[in-house]
Amino acid sequence: MTKSKKSLLALILAASMAASLASCGGGSATTSTPAESSASSESAETSSEEASSEESSTSEAEATTAGSTPRNETVYFGGQQWGTLNDFNPMSAGSNNWCQSQGDSSRVFVYESLFIYNMLDGKLYPLLGTDYAWNDEQTALTVHLNPDAHWNDGTPVTAEDVAYTWEVNVKYASSRGLDMSQYIDSIEATDEHTVTINAKLDDSGVSINPLKVVDYIAQTYVMQKAYLEKVEERCNYDAEAVKLDTMEDLVVSGPYYPYYYDDQKVVYQRDDNYWGQADSMWGKLPVPKYLAHTIYSDNNAAQVAFANGEIDCNQQFITDVQKMWEEQDLPITTYLDEQPYGICVQLPTAWFNVEREGLDQVAVRKAIAMAVDYDQIISSAMSNQSPSFKDVPRSIMNPTDGEQKMYDHDAVKDLQWVGKDIAGANTLLDEAGIVDSDGDGIREYNGKNLSFQAECPSGWTDWNAALEIVAAAGKEIGIDISTYFPDANTYYADLTTCNFDIGMWSPAGASVNGIYSRAMGLFSSSYIQLESNWSGNFGHYVNERADEILSLLPHETDEATLKNYYTELTEIYLTDVPSFTLMYRPQYFYACNETVWTGFPVQGDGIPPTVLTDGYGIAGLYQLELVNP
Amino acid sequence: MLNTLKQVFRSPRFLVGFIIFITIFLTVIIYPLIVTVNPLDMVGNGNFFKPGTYVNVSETMTAKKYTLNVDVSSASKLDRQLDETQRSKMSDWLVRFGGVDESEIDTSDAAALVELWKNHYSKDVDQKGLIAADKKYFARLDGKIDNMLASSGIIIATENEDGTLSENSTIDDQAYVNIKDLQTNRTFILGTDNFGRDVLTELVAATKVSLQIGLIAGSIATFIGLILGLLSGYLGGTVDNIITFITNLFTVIPSFIILVLISYSVGSGARGVGLVAIIIGFTSWTWTTRSVRSQVISLRNRDHVNLSKLSGHSMLRIVFTDILPYIASYVVMALILQISSGILAEAQLSMLGLGPATTKTATLGLMMNWAMQYSAHLNGSWWAYFPVILTIALISFSLNLMNTGLDQVFNPQLRD
Repeated sequence: MTKSKKSLLALILAASMAASLASCGGGSATTSTPAESSASSESAETSSEEASSEESSTSEAEATTAGSTPRNETVYFGGQQWGTLNDFNPMSAGSNNWCQSQGDSSRVFVYESLFIYNMLDGKLYPLLGTDYAWNDEQTALTVHLNPDAHWNDGTPVTAEDVAYTWEVNVKYASSRGLDMSQYIDSIEATDEHTVTINAKLDDSGVSINPLKVVDYIAQTYVMQKAYLEKVEERCNYDAEAVKLDTMEDLVVSGPYYPYYYDDQKVVYQRDDNYWGQADSMWGKLPVPKYLAHTIYSDNNAAQVAFANGEIDCNQQFITDVQKMWEEQDLPITTYLDEQPYGICVQLPTAWFNVEREGLDQVAVRKAIAMAVDYDQIISSAMSNQSPSFKDVPRSIMNPTDGEQKMYDHDAVKDLQWVGKDIAGANTLLDEAGIVDSDGDGIREYNGKNLSFQAECPSGWTDWNAALEIVAAAGKEIGIDISTYFPDANTYYADLTTCNFDIGMWSPAGASVNGIYSRAMGLFSSSYIQLESNWSGNFGHYVNERADEILSLLPHETDEATLKNYYTELTEIYLTDVPSFTLMYRPQYFYACNETVWTGFPVQGDGIPPTVLTDGYGIAGLYQLELVNP
Repeated sequence: MLNTLKQVFRSPRFLVGFIIFITIFLTVIIYPLIVTVNPLDMVGNGNFFKPGTYVNVSETMTAKKYTLNVDVSSASKLDRQLDETQRSKMSDWLVRFGGVDESEIDTSDAAALVELWKNHYSKDVDQKGLIAADKKYFARLDGKIDNMLASSGIIIATENEDGTLSENSTIDDQAYVNIKDLQTNRTFILGTDNFGRDVLTELVAATKVSLQIGLIAGSIATFIGLILGLLSGYLGGTVDNIITFITNLFTVIPSFIILVLISYSVGSGARGVGLVAIIIGFTSWTWTTRSVRSQVISLRNRDHVNLSKLSGHSMLRIVFTDILPYIASYVVMALILQISSGILAEAQLSMLGLGPATTKTATLGLMMNWAMQYSAHLNGSWWAYFPVILTIALISFSLNLMNTGLDQVFNPQLRD
């Protein structure tokens, strides 16, 4: 079938879907659930997008509409902004702003951090900071700033700014300040371009966690002291007001500055005075003059726009993404040419609540984990965009080589299960005496049927499908598992207060201390007493040996000893099964449409697939080219 | 009675509707007797496998071979498999990067074109100005051409204990297997869905569930509506006022919202097929009540009813012998419409993710929901959703046809 016939067919089918939905109506009214709105909007979406693709060539004249920018100077992003943006404040807890993400690879096109992380080689690259070094006792970290760095108002970025950013984060108890003040005592400006970060010390004079101190310099945005003082003053030094300030008049050091935003789109404009064009940094300006993000109603609408070339760089899960170039002949590429198409560094994990009756039994937990068909999850839920557990046996490591070499594969070989082992799981349960004695097909523990809910937010398609496959496995081994997909906020409340049976979340992905952070997230009992626990160990698992290893890890620098520790943790993980990884997933889905721009980072050019904006991935913005210059 | 039935079946609309409905109904009953696999079995390891017959590859290696005299030489393969766009793209590449003069290229001669291509193409050539997607396209095309050129037959080898390969046999280009000789092939008439489940089998199971839900929901709604309507219409007075008030209350609140709220609060663990049907039934009785009430009001002052009253017959007897038979045809039609809307309500609920659990039952709405979540409509996997839509449409179409047919027979104003 030719392409035009195909799209005609698609149109007819979409129309018939609309018709059938309309006939479903029967006077029934509207609801505000996202699924409903996506269901009804979608057929309209398909047909209107089809129409608009034809119009787009003639609509250049409309360039006067608000916030519109020339197409050949603008890179459009997808999948990162789903509502009108609410603030520009890095200290706010509820910011939905696409330009802000302080994490493993911080997003640095507006605000900048001291260093940027490259997940490909696991190193920190200079940004505002040029280099960093510990003193001999590992109690103080000295960071030198790039003297060329200046704010977009022209004033230089100084050590005072770095120190004051820390002070404000702590003073007004931002989540970053709260978290980091457990590990950092103070940040001082030694001279104009030198900062000393003093680690918090325990009773014996050893820093509590030097790894977290390094996290700070890679993750935290540096803000301008003068601007912060202005914000404090207009908020009357009130902590809540400072954290809720929208900071629309922000002063930043990054290459882009807010240009326009409304409920349709967000646009950032290049600051042609950006300090990074100095030879000490990039030596030039980033190529696109504007970075824009259209706000789409749902995934399907964004996918249609992406296929039409209205999104250049898309962070979105696309079913059978290879069909876009194999069957639809679209100029679309992914980071890797072959499956899994991206670099998977995250481990979406099912967490057992070990306080629930039944799930406190290792046999039950392990049986569920053994029975799950992971190949099915990877091939259908993840649409093959994940390496399989045959290629990368399960451990606490992500599939990158750097992490894989950090544990002893042979030592845990016998513990690693590949899944779909129904017989093995049944035997395990039978041996543990957990059997079905009343003949209803469900096993009992303490006289009660084993019945659990597997929970994750609704609309997170690949996770929903993965949990359905977990539920199907439960059916095979006589454990009743039903799926429960509440709205995201309900889910967050359940997860962070340990009010679930089986919940789904990803521990830390790739970061400068990725393995350690992940291990903390999987095992640390210190998170249990947190009132609202976003940090990890959601199921309240306690293992003294694991805690002991976690306290030793930050001070250990010998690679062989580290490897031993991580091997031991992997053993505990595979024996006690406090949680189990369901699949490997990229940090960001990343696919690019080369209709307007080309030169997107691909495997081999050393730039990680962090959607052109995160961590060292921002280097990609400096190598883009127009297809038709 | 027999006469009425004859009359009913003489109505062409009813007959067409009836035939469609019975066909669906029989398929639902007979198909599972023939195909006994579990409809929720995740057979396919991947999303949306195309409709067709899947043949076990290793079995074809060992199956009986037939030699057919079909031209399978590489030249004819090239001619057949290289289409116009591929040829023109190849020629473009050769001119731009291969240093070939345009006059040397004849795209109508596939073999010559491929020879030029093999002599000049290399993916390591500096293809300046070519976007990454096109570079990949040409590399893929090159691989495809290599496959077409490989005419020497494929060698089957087994691995020895020491790891070396030893040749077992060679597969001739003209070797064919008869699909009937193969034991393990699997046909998916409608392909597979996002979980790799056989769509046709799932569809049949889902239709059965939908019919069940429609029947239960429709019966409950009609029953409640009928009883309340009879009471309200016949008794009148305060009872009528109260019932009308309740009915109006439920009419004003959109029933679908109540449906969504109840389904949500019940929780997915408890939402079995039965419960969903009951919830739908209990939220959709209002219009039956109103219309039955109005019919009864017009009947209750007829002479034969008054005569019954005078004869001292009990209320129940009057209602069941003197009123109900007169509105029976109407009630049957209402039931049909209720069944139809029950099926649609389930589909809507499941599409919102508020229907029965995915791993426990297949329903039409769930199939649509997952097809949409995995954007089947965007990647051309029509088989995952279109048959479902068609089935829903056919069921409600046939029920509605039957309804209009009945109307034609029973409604004196419409009789020819």
